[in-house]
Amino acid sequence: MATAVTAPADGRTQKSTRALPSALWPWLLLLPAFISLGSVSFYPIVNGIYLSFTNRSLITQDNDFVGIANYAQLLADPPFWNAWWHTIWFTIASTGLETLIGLAMALILCESFSGRGVIRAAMLVPWAMPTVVTSKMFGWLFDGQHGIINFILLHAGLIDQNVNWYGSPDTALTTIILADVWKTTPFMALLLLTGLQTVPKSLIEAARMDGAKAWTIFWNIRLPLLLPTLLIAGLFRALDAFRVFDLVYVLTGGGPADSTETLSTLSYKILFSTLQFGYGSAVSTAMFITEGMIAVVFCLFLVRQIRKTT
Amino acid sequence: MPVFKKASAGSNATGFSTMLDRRQLLLGAASAAVGAATLGVTSGLGMRSARAADRTEISFASASFFGKEGLGDLVKAYNESQDRIMVKFIELPPPSSSTEVYQGLIQQLARRNGTPDVFSQDVIWIAGFAAAGWALPLDEYFPKEKRGDYFPGTVAACTYNEKLTALPWFVDSGMFYYRKDLVDKHGGKVPETWEDMATIAAAAQKAGDAKFGYLWQGKQAEVLICDAVEVITSNGGSILAPDGKSSILGEKAAVEAIQFLYDTINKTKISPQNVLSWDEEPSRQPFTSGEAMFMRNWSYVYPIAQDPKASHVVDKVAVAPLPHFAGGKSAACLGGYQLGVNANSKKREAAIEFLTWMSSPETQTRLALNFGLAPSRPAIFQDAKLKAQQPFMASLQNVFTGATPRPITPQYAKVTLALQSGISKALVSGKVEAELKSAAEQINKIVA
Repeated sequence: MATAVTAPADGRTQKSTRALPSALWPWLLLLPAFISLGSVSFYPIVNGIYLSFTNRSLITQDNDFVGIANYAQLLADPPFWNAWWHTIWFTIASTGLETLIGLAMALILCESFSGRGVIRAAMLVPWAMPTVVTSKMFGWLFDGQHGIINFILLHAGLIDQNVNWYGSPDTALTTIILADVWKTTPFMALLLLTGLQTVPKSLIEAARMDGAKAWTIFWNIRLPLLLPTLLIAGLFRALDAFRVFDLVYVLTGGGPADSTETLSTLSYKILFSTLQFGYGSAVSTAMFITEGMIAVVFCLFLVRQIRKTT
Repeated sequence: MPVFKKASAGSNATGFSTMLDRRQLLLGAASAAVGAATLGVTSGLGMRSARAADRTEISFASASFFGKEGLGDLVKAYNESQDRIMVKFIELPPPSSSTEVYQGLIQQLARRNGTPDVFSQDVIWIAGFAAAGWALPLDEYFPKEKRGDYFPGTVAACTYNEKLTALPWFVDSGMFYYRKDLVDKHGGKVPETWEDMATIAAAAQKAGDAKFGYLWQGKQAEVLICDAVEVITSNGGSILAPDGKSSILGEKAAVEAIQFLYDTINKTKISPQNVLSWDEEPSRQPFTSGEAMFMRNWSYVYPIAQDPKASHVVDKVAVAPLPHFAGGKSAACLGGYQLGVNANSKKREAAIEFLTWMSSPETQTRLALNFGLAPSRPAIFQDAKLKAQQPFMASLQNVFTGATPRPITPQYAKVTLALQSGISKALVSGKVEAELKSAAEQINKIVA
C-alpha cells in the first residue's frame, strides 16, 4: 500500500521530462480497463436497449426504429405480466426462505463443535452442483409416479394419492422454488456465517455476563450487527433469483399452462425461438429495469442501516 | 426434436474435428506423427478440391446426422460418384440442438450471399424460409407428376403458397405403440378409433393388466403440438384454416379432439395426470418397463423396446397408425428434415443436381440403412434389403401415409408458442372450448 501511494509522487517529480501532462497518465493507464469493460458490459447493455426500440427480427429481416411500440405492446401483453408476477413471486419466496434457513444454518455453524470444519465444507455441496444437475435430480425426486417424495408422503399418510408436482399448476412453481432453496441456501449460510464472525466476541461475552439469554443476544446484538451483511446477501440472492432460467427450462419449460413461465424463459423463447430481437430486447430491458428497482430498494435499506450505525 | 436423440453423438464428433484443427495449427510440423494423422482426417476434402479445380463448387449445410456413417461420408460419396460438382459439407450441430441449428442456418441464409447453396431444414421451418425469400421455388425442376413419388404429407409440408420450396428427404411421425399380448387378451383387435382405444385401455387397466391405458405427451413443449395436430386432424379439424390466414382451433372438431385428451386424464382415466409434465422420454419409460398398454410416440422407441437391457417388453410391442375419431381419418404428425436450395445461390444447376441426388431412391435407401432415417418415398419401403435389415422401418409405410404437417405458416415459431400455452391451459383447466377460442384469437393476430 505504501509503495502504491508514493509511486505517483515519484512520477510527479520526474514529470517534466515526459511529453504527456501528468493528469493524463492515470487515465491512460485506466484506458485498457475502460475499453475492456465498455466493450463487454457497457456496449451490450446500450445496444440491447437500442434494439428494444427497433422491430429487428431475423426472420422477417425488419430492422426499423419503432420508438416505444415494443414497450406499448409489452404493457398490454398478458404472457409478459404472467411471467413478471411469477418471477417476482419466485424471487421473494426463494430469497426469503433462503435467508431464514441460511441464517439458522449460519448460527449453528458459528458455534464450535467437533466436526464443524467437515460440515461447513459438506454444506456447500448443493451450491457447487451445476444447476442442470440439480434440476434433473429434483425432477426425479418429485417425479409424479416414482418420485421418492411422493413415496415418503404417501407412506407417512400425509397425502392419499400421488401428487403430480410438475404437472399441476398449483404445485409446479412451488416445487421449483424448493429446488432453488435447496441449492442456494448454503450460499446464503456461508455469506451470513462470515458476517456473524465479524460480530465482536467481547460484546457477546459482556452480554452473557450481564445475564442475557441466547435469544436476547441474537436479537439485540448479533442481528443488528449482521443486518448490513444480511441486506447485501439478500440483494445478491434476489438479483440472482430474478434471473432464474435453468431450473424452469429443464423441469417444466414454462408449463403447465404457463404456470412456471419466468421472464428469463419468456425472453429466451422470444429471442431465440421466434428470433424477434426487438421485442425480446424490450422484455430483457424490462427485466433490467425491474432488477434495478429491486437493487434500489435494497440499497435504500442498506444506506439507512449504515447511517443508523455510524 | 428429441426424435433424433440417438443422433446426438454427432456433437462429440463435431467437437473432435475442431479440436484436431486446433491441434494441427499448434503442432504443425513439430510432431510429424500427430500432424499426419490430423491432416488425414481434416483435409481429405481440401486435397480433393485442389485436384478438381475445374469442378463447380457448392456448399451443403445440414444438422449432423449420424449412424453407421455420417453426412460427411455421404457427401464424399457424391463427390466421388461424378466429376462435375464438388460439394463442401458445412456441419451444423446435431438435430437434438434444434434451436442452434435453426439459428445457424438463418444467420447464413440472411446474408443472401449464396452460401450454403443447399441446406436441410426441419419441416416446421420451411414456410418461414420460403416467406423470407431464402428458399428457391423448385416447381420447374420437380413438376407435379414427379411429386407423386413422395408421401403426400411431406410434399404438403414442403409447399408454401402453392410453390414447392423444399424437396422431401426423410420422415418421422407420431405412431401408435401397443402391447401385442394385452391386445390379444382384450379382444385381439388393434383399436382403430379413439373411443375403442379408450374402452380397451380402461378394461385392461381395470383387469390389472396395465397400470396405464394410454400414454401421450402433454408437456408445454413442441411435442404437445404434435399430439394435438394428430387428434385434431383425426377428427377432420385443423389448427389453421386452409388459407393459413386464420385459426379454426376454436371450432367443434378441434375442441372435441382436445376434450378427448383432457378426458383421458379426468374422465376415462386411462392416462395418468403426469402426462401433463411428460415429453417423449418420460412417457417412453413406463411403456418399455411394461406398465402401459398403448402409447403415442416417435419411431425411436422401437429399438429401445426391443433391447433386452432397457426393456421388459421385448417382442411384445408393435406399431400401428394412430386411432381416429368416428368418421375421421388417422393422422400422424410429420417430422423429419427436408432439403432446400438457397434462392441466392449462384450455382443453381449444380445445386439442383446435388439436391436430386440427395433425395434419389438410392440415397434415401442408404440413409435408411446406414442412418436409420426413414425414406420419404413410399416405394423404398418395398426394398428387399430394407425389409431384411430394417424390418421395423419397412413396416411403417402405412403410418407415414397419414403423416400430416403442423400448421404451415412463416410465423410458425410464434404460432407454436401460443398453441403450447393455449392447449396446455385447456388440458389443465378443462375449459377446453374457452381456452382454445382464446388461443385461436391470439393466433389470428399472429398470422393475419
